Amino acid sequence: MSISQTSAIAPKRAKAALGGLRKVAASFAVILTTLLGLLVITFVVGRMVPADPVIAVIGDQADHDTYERVYKEMGLDQPLYVQFATYLGNVAQLNFGQSHVTKNPVASDLARVFPATLELATLATIIGAVFGIPLGIISAVRKGTWVDHLARVVGLLGHSTPIFWLGTIVILVFYAKFSLIPGSGRLDIYNEGLVEGPTNSILIDAVLASEWEVFWDALLHVAAPALILGYAAMAYLSRMSRSFMLEQLRQEYVLTAKAKGLGQRAIVWRHAFRNIRVQLLTIVALAYCGLLDGTVLIETVFAWPGLGQYLTSALFFADMNAVLGSVLLIGIISIAINLLSDLTYRFLDPRTR
Amino acid sequence: MKRRSFLMASALMASTFAVPVAGQAATPDDQLVIATNMSSMRGLDPNELNQLESAEIVANLYERLIVLSADDMTKPQPGIAESWKVSDDGKTFTFKIRSGVTFHSGNPLTAKDVEWSLRRLVKLGLAPSVDLRQWGFTDKNVDELIKATDDTTVALQTPEVWNPNLILFSLASFSTSILDSKLLAENEKNGDMGREFLQTNDAGSGPYSLKTWRVNDLLISDAFKDYWQGVPKMRRVILRHMPESSGQRLQLEAGDVDVATRLSSTDLAAIEAGGKAEIQKTPGFGFYYLALNQKDEILSNPKVREAFRYLIDYDGLANTVMKYYGIKQQTVIPGGLPGALNETPYKLDIDKAKQLLAEAGYPSGFSKVYYATPVTPEYEVAQSLQANAAKVGIKLDLQGGDHIGKFRNREFEIFSARTGERLPDPHAVLASYATNPNNADDAKLAGLIAWRSAWEVPKSIQDMVTAAAHETDQQKRADLYAKINKAYLEASPALVTSFQRTDAKAVRKEVTGYVGHSTWLTRWDTVSKGE
Repeated sequence: MSISQTSAIAPKRAKAALGGLRKVAASFAVILTTLLGLLVITFVVGRMVPADPVIAVIGDQADHDTYERVYKEMGLDQPLYVQFATYLGNVAQLNFGQSHVTKNPVASDLARVFPATLELATLATIIGAVFGIPLGIISAVRKGTWVDHLARVVGLLGHSTPIFWLGTIVILVFYAKFSLIPGSGRLDIYNEGLVEGPTNSILIDAVLASEWEVFWDALLHVAAPALILGYAAMAYLSRMSRSFMLEQLRQEYVLTAKAKGLGQRAIVWRHAFRNIRVQLLTIVALAYCGLLDGTVLIETVFAWPGLGQYLTSALFFADMNAVLGSVLLIGIISIAINLLSDLTYRFLDPRTR
Repeated sequence: MKRRSFLMASALMASTFAVPVAGQAATPDDQLVIATNMSSMRGLDPNELNQLESAEIVANLYERLIVLSADDMTKPQPGIAESWKVSDDGKTFTFKIRSGVTFHSGNPLTAKDVEWSLRRLVKLGLAPSVDLRQWGFTDKNVDELIKATDDTTVALQTPEVWNPNLILFSLASFSTSILDSKLLAENEKNGDMGREFLQTNDAGSGPYSLKTWRVNDLLISDAFKDYWQGVPKMRRVILRHMPESSGQRLQLEAGDVDVATRLSSTDLAAIEAGGKAEIQKTPGFGFYYLALNQKDEILSNPKVREAFRYLIDYDGLANTVMKYYGIKQQTVIPGGLPGALNETPYKLDIDKAKQLLAEAGYPSGFSKVYYATPVTPEYEVAQSLQANAAKVGIKLDLQGGDHIGKFRNREFEIFSARTGERLPDPHAVLASYATNPNNADDAKLAGLIAWRSAWEVPKSIQDMVTAAAHETDQQKRADLYAKINKAYLEASPALVTSFQRTDAKAVRKEVTGYVGHSTWLTRWDTVSKGE
């Protein structure tokens, strides 16, 4: 009996599996098209930038022969579509080319700079979410009280203070004046070179190598930039969660719950908060994506060797391989975060299953 | 419950970050920390790079046949070459290679390495190859002309007779560094002569060896224990990428770095006033210049060119924007070199400029597009000129941006920037500023700024420049340069020089022996720390 049952179910399952496969294939195709579009636009825009990659490499005093030689060496004598096709061919083989500026393979450059940004962005997002969401919810619940006003002021300040300015002030006050935080960079020179790899995130690598002093030093270095970025993220997240919460609190089920005699804490956290989780997840993911693009200003102020700095300097010198590689990485990361939050929705909201 | 744990977590986090660190603001006594801007570095291959920051590193990882000391650039001193002889006809240089020198790899340095390295420079033909190519070496003749005759002798023949100093100076340049040919042969990929390997590794014999290099982040080099001149005092030299001038300044003042190399004039002034560090202004062999395109009918008028010389506020700029970046210099031979003049006949004179414009037939001025690089101090200098020009009716449409490509292709009206040569000899500057053997567009002599400006340099000047380069008698040569300098000034050149460039660095007072080098070869093995 059990056998006949399974055999009856099997084609159904296969059908479902096929459908699932088709869905996966379809979303895969969408992802590929998105990435391709991203590359095409970047490539075209990159070629329109007035900076001359050859001069960036040879210096402006070089003679014409050298110019021609390097021009050819960089493949710039080929028509644009040939250059692009060559690039795509290489990317298909996971070869992202060499950066004209750093002279390293772009993949290895990215493997070095991205973890630095990842470290910073992750901490900043955590700080932003941990402080911002409760703040927003509290100010929604206590709407119109001094808590709400204070939260509004804090949020407004975080929104409107230029990050590079705040960074400079923090360095000036806490580093130069009171020596409370270490100088810029990811580590003190004493600790440089003690941990190398495998993840290039010093925090993780130090834990893996049980180098606690390095870990502590790295944490102190990342603290100030992460707090500043986190503050900006907090400002955004608290404002958003406040308005999400307010909307929920106006709903009739809240009134019902109140009528049922439920306590405020239960109403807010057990009912209303559950309903805004999806929205919150979306904005946290958005904020995280934004931070992962590299935050060039804070990276510059704190001499943080991350993706933002890498991409900006590559743009300045028309270093197309590096630019395309970075853009591709950012694209993939954004898509991945989106997919991940889509998946999480399914857990949080049964309607999306 | 949930809320409480949130709060707990927040409190924990806050307390983590609030713990103060020990204020250990001082670099170790046996390490030198240099704050720099690495974003324009282009690898560490001596035969490929063409840039100040990389050159300083290469200067310490590698060594060259000849040494030019920072305090007297005009006297070639023995380096890897223990001694040398120049043949009577002036065309053959025979170098005796020092024995007992080893590379960082442990391989001994021999004449073969010298031969291979110099040939590699010419054969790769990249930007710095001009250091040898300008004397007539080509990838075709270099195997013939540069030869190791035995393990300790290298013979170098020049295709023409040049003043021997020009050849010797070139052999002191970072580009003629001696590479470990055996190590590079082992690491060659597809006949690249070790190019890929050298991007991230060193193959030198210098006082420091490369330990770690992370582009736009950090470079660590360690003292080479078997260095033939003895182990350097600084066990380690660390370069940190700090793109922000104010960041460099704060760390210098706090003592977290010993040397800051890329500072704005505001920060330099503040550091100077602070008294913790000395400001070093190293003169470079180049100028801040204004180029007037001679294909333009108005700008090719000598009176108009002359008028521009009276529109630059030399004194005003010298005391403000240019205080750390340049030395007033209106002639074409940099100070300290043979033939240099101390005369500064021009000053800001609006009336005189007006009169010259009237004589040229433009009493009410004209309008031109003016390209300048939007960086300090170039842009401030450009704005100052724009303001003064407006007073005589010349409307300059100042456009910041990267216009060097247009300048190279002669597609501009007025352009200003700065140059920097690496040869401590008037010839290097003059070749670019005062020779233009073929002024046709298709000659494409884009390496010469005289050609870029489409300026037909008076033939008498060009002939003298050529003669001086070949002249072997030093005194006659110096006289010739003095003459060229005067003639250039009188020619109302299309290239108006206003300041000789200086590169300013701030060095903490306890650091001695870090001396800025005009041809980018600052040494680290002379550095020590102490009161």
